[in-house]
Formats: sequence, C-alpha cells, structure tokens
Amino acid sequence: MPEGLTGSLTQLSLSDILTMLAAGGQSGRLELADGPERGDIFLRSGAIVHALSSLHVGEPALTDLLRWTTGAFRFQPHVTTTDVTIDKPLERLLSEGVRHAMERDAVLRVVPSPDAVLHLSQDVPTGPITLQPHEWQILSQVDGRTTIGDIAANMRCEDFALMEALVPMVSGGMLKLELATRIAPVRAVASPAFFASLTAAVAAAMGPLAEIVIDDCVDGMGLTRESMPREMVSTLVERIGSDIRDVEKRVRFQQTMLGILRNQAA
Amino acid sequence: MDKGLKELSLLPGVGGAFVCDNRGGVIVSSTPAALATETMNTMGREVAQAFTAAEKAGWPSTRVEFVYDSWRLLAEDLGEAVLFVVCEADADMPIARMTVDVVVASWRKDSGVKKQLARHWAARNDVMTTANFDEVSRRSWRVIESRA
Repeated sequence: MPEGLTGSLTQLSLSDILTMLAAGGQSGRLELADGPERGDIFLRSGAIVHALSSLHVGEPALTDLLRWTTGAFRFQPHVTTTDVTIDKPLERLLSEGVRHAMERDAVLRVVPSPDAVLHLSQDVPTGPITLQPHEWQILSQVDGRTTIGDIAANMRCEDFALMEALVPMVSGGMLKLELATRIAPVRAVASPAFFASLTAAVAAAMGPLAEIVIDDCVDGMGLTRESMPREMVSTLVERIGSDIRDVEKRVRFQQTMLGILRNQAA
Repeated sequence: MDKGLKELSLLPGVGGAFVCDNRGGVIVSSTPAALATETMNTMGREVAQAFTAAEKAGWPSTRVEFVYDSWRLLAEDLGEAVLFVVCEADADMPIARMTVDVVVASWRKDSGVKKQLARHWAARNDVMTTANFDEVSRRSWRVIESRA
C-alpha cells in the first residue's frame, strides 16, 4: 500500500481496507475521521494490535469503527504504538464485527433512537406478566415525558444497553415509543472567501497543487468545503501547514493564515 | 521575548505564557503572570526532565501538550529553555500551536533573544539528578536509562 494512502469509506469499506492491509503484512496507523468523530487502528505485520474510538479502546473501539459507512481514512505506514489491546486474528474480529452489527440492527429495528419517549401501553395484558428487576427499574422511570437517553443517564448505563433491554418490553407490547423530532442546530460554515484566501496562501507555499492539497485535507477530515464548520478551519489550516516541509515557507503560511483567521473572528 | 509572549497571551482562551531555563528558573513571563513563580519553577524543571527522558527512551519530541479537565498546557522545547503556554479548556489549540511556531521561528532569528537565552544556559542533564526527582520519577528514570 503506497505511503499516506487516503480515501473515503463510501468507496471502500473499513473491513476491505483492513483485509488488504493484513494481506500485505502492513504495519502502521489507520486514521479515521467522520466530522468531529475520530478513530485509530494500529497494525503490526498485518495483525490488528490496538484500536481507539471516541468512547472505547481495544475490541469495543474496533466494533464501533466497523459500523462506520461514511468518513475518510488515511494509512500512515510504520507509525507504531506500544499499546496492545487486541490479539485476535482479523477474520475472527471481522466476523464478530458482523455479528455485533446484526445484533445492533435488530435492536434498532425495535428501538430506533435514544431520543424516543416511552409510554406505558394502555392495552390490558391477556395473561400474567413477569418482570425482571431491571425491567421494574425501567418501568419506574416511564412517565410519558422522559427519553430513553435520560432514563439511561438516571440508571447510569449506556444508551444502547438500555435500548437492548427495552426490546422485549416494546416488542411484547408493554411499552410504546414516541419518536421525538429534533431540529438540528444550524452551524456556521467556512465561507468561499476563506477558501480563496487559503488557496492563495497554500499556492504561495506549495505551488500549483494547492487546490488538490486543500481538497485532500478537507476529505481527510471527513468533510466537504461546503460543510466545513467555521470552528474547524483552524484545524484545517494546521493540518495543511504540517504538510509544508520547508520550515520558512511553513512559518510564512502560518503567519498569513493566522492574520486571516484573526480577521475572520473579529 | 516579551513581544512574543504578549502575542500568545492575547489569543482568546490563553491565560499567559512564560519561558523557563533548563533548571526551571523563569527567564521571562507574560504580565500578569499566569501562575505563581514556584509553580512555574516546578513545571519548568519537570517538563525539562520529561523532554530529556523521552529523548533517552527513543521518543524525542519538541512539543508536549498536557490536557486537564479545565485547562491545557502547551510546552515547546527551545533546546536551551522551554516555552509554556497556559490555555483554557476551550482555547483554539490549532491557533495556539501555530502562533507558537511563528513566535519561536522569530526568536530563532533574533540575536537579542539568543543572547538572553545563552545567559541562562544550563545543561539539561543537570536536572536529571537524584536530588531533583521524587521516588517514582527516580525509578522511572532508572528503567529508561537501563533500557536506552
């Protein structure tokens, strides 16, 4: 695999990428980005040895990352770690990943979101009901206003663990779900004028490939020019700057862009 | 160096900046100082030890970022000294890091700064003595030395 291979998970799945890296006996770090979410998978001679996601480390992190179907990846050969949190063969990890995904999909078909509000069903049961202690605990929190996520927080458990526990209670008709509609907050995005200034500064430092360098970096962050949040432009500028090998040119680029970012914030 | 420290201190979310020599002595600090002098001395000494230990362990680095619940500390190795930037948790760290790069690049060309740093020069190994370590650090350093 060539140095610094990058791409999009919409074109190549993570399991295919890992299979290729394993077949080639590769060692290095596979960086993943999807908006603000980040993940890292470390390989040594084709075996996965360590993984990190936003919430987990090791196999749970790999399970999280194998669910990604969008975002960008970048492979950095020979970048190592001393951490060893995974020691299963790739085939077993991938088949367990598939099993976890199927189990997760089965839960989401019945309980699609932690933002749903729970209601006690008005239908009278036809026979006796047996409740486990944790189901009693869940029922005690159902009030027709509290979301699944909030109940999970009160019970100090993860959202998905509660959603899994709710499957028999919802599919058995004891509880009903009301899906809340959330209006996504509108985020300010970087302007075309910013990208024009950035292109000019990158061209001064790196020559005519400026547009390609910027697009690669934006893609590597799992974003597009149109969706780049304004609060992430400094991260974009820093990443591009780190690609400028010549120290003087890099410092001049940073100086120019710091001035532009200051004016943008003013 | 005052001008560079002021430029850093004026960044949103930055509480102050200072430079320590390799023994932890404060060479220059932004005004008002971000931290008590004794705190800056301790940080200067211990971070100089951290840079030396990392290099000895085969992990040379010129920059370390410490992330705490409510603040961050950026430490840049100048060789003869360490530049520290004290930041709030929500400071724009890419901007802080790039400003450090620009400030340090200007210092490297400034003969006045070079003379000021030369006056405070001390060998890094001077802080790697038993008297400057606590028990845990002393044991860690012995392990690193033995494996180097």
